Amino acid sequence: MHTEKKRSKEDTWKAADLKRYIAEGSHEDGRRGDRGESLEKHYKESRRERDKHREYYTGGRVDADEMYRHVERRKEGSQDRRDDRERNRIEERLMEKERRRERDTVDMNSGEHIKKTDRRRRDREETQERERDRQRQREKDKVRDKYTDEERVRRRQEREKEVRREEGDREYKHYRDRRSHESIDKGGSEYTDKYNRERRERHRERERQGEEYGISRSEKERRERHAERKQSEHKEGKDYQDDRRKDKHDRERRHKEQRHHDEKQKHHSESREHRDRKRTEEEVRHHRSDREAEGDKHTERRHKEEKDPKEHFKERTQEMDKELQQTNSSHTQKAEETKIVNEKETEQEYEDDFEEYEDDFEELDESDNEDGEKEELVEHKEELSLEKREEIKAIQRAMDEENKKVGALSRQNTTEIKEERPKWSRESETTESQTPQRGKFMDFVAAKQREVNKKVASKQKKRSAELLRLIDLDFTLTSSLLDLPPVNEYEMYIRSFGTANTKQAYVQCNEDNADRDIQTEEIELTEKWTQHPPEHSGACGGENLFLYDFDFGIYILSLFSDPNISPKTRDGPLNELNIDSKRLTTFLQSASQVLIVLLEEDEAERNSLRKLRTQTDDLSFSDGGLQLNTNLPFLQGHHISLIHFSEVQKHTMISVHTSTTKPSAVLLGNHTLICIWNIWEPSRPQKILLYESEVQCCCFSPGKATLVFAGTTVGSVVLWDLREHTSNHYQMTIGDDEWTFRHPSFSTDAVMSASGHFSTVMSVEVVPSAVARGQRSEVSLLAPKEATGLSFQLASLDESGILNFWVVVELPKTNVAGSPTDLGLRPGGKVKLLHSSTLSVVDRMLHRAKKSAHLQMLRLKFLPTDSNHFFIGTNMGTVHHGTSHGLKALPKFYRDLEGNEKPVDINSISFSPFRQDLFLVGCGDGCIRLHSVSQEKPLIEWRDGCAGQSVVSVQWSQTRPAVFSVLDSASNIYLWDLLKNETKPVITEGMGKDRVTAMALFGDSEQRNTYSGVALAHESGKIQIQYFTSNLTVSSLSEVEKLTSLIEAI
Amino acid sequence: MMGTSDTYLIRPNHQEKFKPAVVKECIREVVRERLTGVRYDDEEVRQLSTTLADSIKDRVKKAGFDRYKLTVQVVIGEQRGQGVKMSTRCFWDADTDSYAEDVFITENLFCVVVVFGSYYY
Repeated sequence: MHTEKKRSKEDTWKAADLKRYIAEGSHEDGRRGDRGESLEKHYKESRRERDKHREYYTGGRVDADEMYRHVERRKEGSQDRRDDRERNRIEERLMEKERRRERDTVDMNSGEHIKKTDRRRRDREETQERERDRQRQREKDKVRDKYTDEERVRRRQEREKEVRREEGDREYKHYRDRRSHESIDKGGSEYTDKYNRERRERHRERERQGEEYGISRSEKERRERHAERKQSEHKEGKDYQDDRRKDKHDRERRHKEQRHHDEKQKHHSESREHRDRKRTEEEVRHHRSDREAEGDKHTERRHKEEKDPKEHFKERTQEMDKELQQTNSSHTQKAEETKIVNEKETEQEYEDDFEEYEDDFEELDESDNEDGEKEELVEHKEELSLEKREEIKAIQRAMDEENKKVGALSRQNTTEIKEERPKWSRESETTESQTPQRGKFMDFVAAKQREVNKKVASKQKKRSAELLRLIDLDFTLTSSLLDLPPVNEYEMYIRSFGTANTKQAYVQCNEDNADRDIQTEEIELTEKWTQHPPEHSGACGGENLFLYDFDFGIYILSLFSDPNISPKTRDGPLNELNIDSKRLTTFLQSASQVLIVLLEEDEAERNSLRKLRTQTDDLSFSDGGLQLNTNLPFLQGHHISLIHFSEVQKHTMISVHTSTTKPSAVLLGNHTLICIWNIWEPSRPQKILLYESEVQCCCFSPGKATLVFAGTTVGSVVLWDLREHTSNHYQMTIGDDEWTFRHPSFSTDAVMSASGHFSTVMSVEVVPSAVARGQRSEVSLLAPKEATGLSFQLASLDESGILNFWVVVELPKTNVAGSPTDLGLRPGGKVKLLHSSTLSVVDRMLHRAKKSAHLQMLRLKFLPTDSNHFFIGTNMGTVHHGTSHGLKALPKFYRDLEGNEKPVDINSISFSPFRQDLFLVGCGDGCIRLHSVSQEKPLIEWRDGCAGQSVVSVQWSQTRPAVFSVLDSASNIYLWDLLKNETKPVITEGMGKDRVTAMALFGDSEQRNTYSGVALAHESGKIQIQYFTSNLTVSSLSEVEKLTSLIEAI
Repeated sequence: MMGTSDTYLIRPNHQEKFKPAVVKECIREVVRERLTGVRYDDEEVRQLSTTLADSIKDRVKKAGFDRYKLTVQVVIGEQRGQGVKMSTRCFWDADTDSYAEDVFITENLFCVVVVFGSYYY
C-alpha cells in the first residue's frame, strides 16, 4: 500500500523504469536494435502501452463490474447481501470509469500520434487522476481500517506462502501456465473468456504482491517488456501466425536471457506478461462478442475459481469434479456423463477454432494497444486491491448461489428432457430468468391442465355436497358369505384314505363298554291280602305266611334229601320256596297219611280185637269190624243221612251229617257237616266240610278223590277242593284239637240263577269219561295227573226233572283276593263249574205219562260204559232211560214185570261192577228188580225180598259179582248170593236197637289183599265198618260166567 | 364421467338397478365354466383369481347396470378340512347399492365371489 502511495505521489517509477529499461535495453539492444526505435519513442510507447494496460485493467474491471451489475440485476428481488451504500458507491465508480473509458476511446479515435496533446491531456488527467486517487485512497484507508489485523496477517502469510510455493513450482507452473494458456486459448471463446478473467484476477493479486515487496523494478521491467513486446508485435506487422511463433520464440529467449536475473521475479513477470496479453485478448473479445448465457455461466464459475489463482488449473479440474458431484446429487448420472462428454467435445472443437479466435484477438489487441493510452493505472490497481476484494467476495457469494441454480439448470439443458421440464419450470419460472422459452411454454400447458383439474374438482365437490344431502348412507347388516365348518379328524381321514384301495380294520378298545349304574334300589314286593270278615286265621295273608307254615316241611325235606330236589336254604327266593312247598305238600300228604295210617292201624288193632270179639257174635256175616270215631263234639246230635265210598280210592268214605233242629251245645248245629274218612284211619275224619243248608246227595270226583260235589235242598250244586290248604279255611279249636272246617270252594248259589236248579237237587253224578272205560282200577291208582288235569262233566238232577251238565274247570292259578267275575268262587279257590247244557227229562216223559202230573225224579245213574246214556229213577216205579245227545235209547222205560206204572219211589239203582249192563233197582214198596240195560222188563223181580219194608239201599258187592246187599227201612240187612240162592237172601241180619240209616259196601278186589265190608251208619251217629267173611269176599273162579249163565237161564 | 356428472340422477331406473339374482347367475356361469375340474395350485390360483375377477366384471358390465361401479372380489382357497368364515359389511346407500355373491365348492377348492355394485351418482 505504501508503495502504491509512493508510486502514486511521485512519478518516480518512470525514471526507475527507464533506468532499468536502459540496463536491460543494453542486453536487448542486440536483439531489438534492428528495429531501429528510439528510446524515447520506446519509452513513450511503453508508457502508453502501460497506460493502455491500465486501461485494460479498468476496462476489464468495468467489464467485470458490468458483469457484476448484471449479476446483481439478476439477483434483484431475491436477495441482496450488499448494503445499498456500497452498491451505490460501486455504481458511482463504475459510471465514472465508464465515462473515462469513453473519453479514452475518444482519445483513441482522435489519433495515436498526437503525442503532445496526448501528453498534455495525460498530464492533466494524471493530476486529476491523482486527486481522485487520493480521494479513493482515503476511502480505501477507511475501508481498510475496518479490516482486522488478523486478516492482514493472514493475507500476508498467504502471500508469502504463495511466493514460496511459486518458487518451488516455478518451472512446473510456468510450463503449466503456458500449457493451460494454450489449451484454454484453443478451448474456444468461452474458455478463453473465462481464462482471461482468471488471469486478470491473478494479475491483480500479483500486482499487489509486487507492491508489497516493493519491487518497482519488476513493474518497470514488466512494463518494459510489455512495451517491447507490443512494439515488436506492433511493428513486425500483421502476420499473426508468425508473430505468435515469434512470440513463443521471444518468450523462450527471454526465458534464457533472464536466467541470470532474479528468477522468481522474472518468471513472475513472464507469466504476468503472458497473462496480460491474454487479458487484452479477453478484453477485446468482451468488446467484440456478445456473451452467451452459457458463457456467462462459465465465466461466473471461473470467477469463483479465481480465489486461488496459482492452482487454478488443478482447481479447475477439481471444481469441475465438484460440479459434477453437485449435479450428481440432483441429477442422473447419465445426464452428467453426456454433459461431460459434451464439454470435452466442445473443448476439442474449440481447439481447432482456437487459432482463428486468437488471431482476431491479437488484431484487436494491437488496436487496443495503440488506442489504450490511459493513465490511472495506479488508481485502478488500488481500487482493485481494496474494493475488489470485497466485491469479489460478494460476487463469489452470489456465484455460489447462482451456481446451485445453474447446476440445476445446466442439468436441464444437457439432459434436455422436455417432459420433465414443464412441471419443474413452472416453479422456477419466477426466479430463474434464464429458463429456456420452451420450458415456459410447457409450463402453460401444465398450468392450464391444473386449472382445468381444479375446476373439475371444484365442480364435483359442489355436486357431491349437494347430493350428499339427498342420500342416506347406512351400514348393512353383516351377512355371511361362506361358512365352512372344520372337518373333524375322522372325516378327514376317510376323505383322504377311505376311498383308495385300503381296508379298514377296527380294534376294540373298550371305549364303548360303558358301565351303567342305577342308584335306586329294586322295589321289594310282597303279597298281602285280607279278607273281611275274618272268619279264620286266613283273614290276612301273604307269602310270608306260607313260608312260616312250611318251616317244618323244609326241615323234613332236608332230612329226606331227594337228589332231584336241591335243598333250598331259608333265605332263598320266595318263588323257589313256593315251588318247594308244592312238592312238599304232596309229599307230606302222602307221607303223613302213610304214617298216620300205620300208627292208627296199630292202635285200632289192639282196641278192635276186643270189640270185634263182641260184635262178631252179633253179626253173622261179619269177620270183624271197627267203628269210626264219630264221637266228636261238633258231630254230636247230627244224624248220618248218607255214606258214600269213592270208586277209585276205595278206602275213602264220605259221611253226610245232616243238621239238627234241636239246639245243641255245639256250634254248627244248623250246618251240614261232611266228613271225609279214611277207613284205615278211623280215629278222626281227614277233612270236615261245612255247608249252611242240607245236603241231599254227594259224590267224589273221578280218579283221585280230591273234589267233593254235593247237591243241596236249596237247588245249588257245591264243590269242595280238598287240596286247599287248611290255613285258608276256618279253623276252630275244640278241646285240645284244632279242626278245620272247609267251606265250599265253589257254589252255584244265586250265581247261575238262570241256568241253575229251582228245586231240591236229588242226585249228583259224575259223567264217566270214555277213557276210564274198562280200566278204572289202573287209572285210579296210576293217574294222579288225570286228577290234576281236571276235565270232566258233572250232571245234577233235581226233583222237577231238570238235568244240568256242568264242566268242571280248574283255574291255572289261584287268586287269594277273590275273583271279580266268578262270584261263586271262594277266594283262593281253583276249581269252578261252568254250565254246559240243560235237559228237561220231565218234558220228554210227559207226553207218555200224562196222568202222572207229580212226577219226581229221584235217582240218577249213568251207564258206566257209555256216558251218553243215563238212567233216572222216578217216583212212578219206572226207570227212565235217556241219552244226553244223539239217538233215542231203547228201551225208554224200565218197568216191573207187569209193565204198569204205579206210584212207587225208586230209592236205589246200582250197576254191577262186573257186568255193567246189569243194574239193580230198589223200590219203595220193597220190591227188588234186576234189569238188563237192553230189556224193558226186569230179568228177575223179587217182590217180597224185604218183607214188605221199603228198600233204602241196594248195592252190589265190589268183590263178588253175584253178591249184593239190601238195606230196608226196618234196619234189616239182606245179603244175597245169587249163585247160592236166587230166590231169597242168604243172610238176613237185623240191627235191632240202633237203627241203621245208611249203608255202603266197600271192598277191593286186589289179589293180595282182598277185603270187602259194609259201612253202616247208625241213627245214633255211629259209623260201623264190618268186614265181610271170606266167603262173601273172595269170589270163585268164573263167577261172572256163572252169573251170566244163571241170568240167561232165568 | 364428465358427461354424466351433470345429471342429478340419484336413483337408477328400475331396469338398470343392480339385480343380485342376475349377477349371481353371471357369477355362477363364469365360475362353473372356469373352475370345473380345476385342481388347486398355489401358483396358478393367483393368476386365476385375477382373471376370473376380470371376466366376471366384464360379464356383469354387459348386463347393463348403468352408472354402477363394480367391485369384484374373488377368493379361492384350498379345501383341506379347515374351517373358513367369510362375511361382509358395507357402508353404502341401501336403496341403490347391492351386492351378489356365489360360492363354488369342489372337493379340493372353494371359491367365493362377491360383486358389489355401488351406484355412481
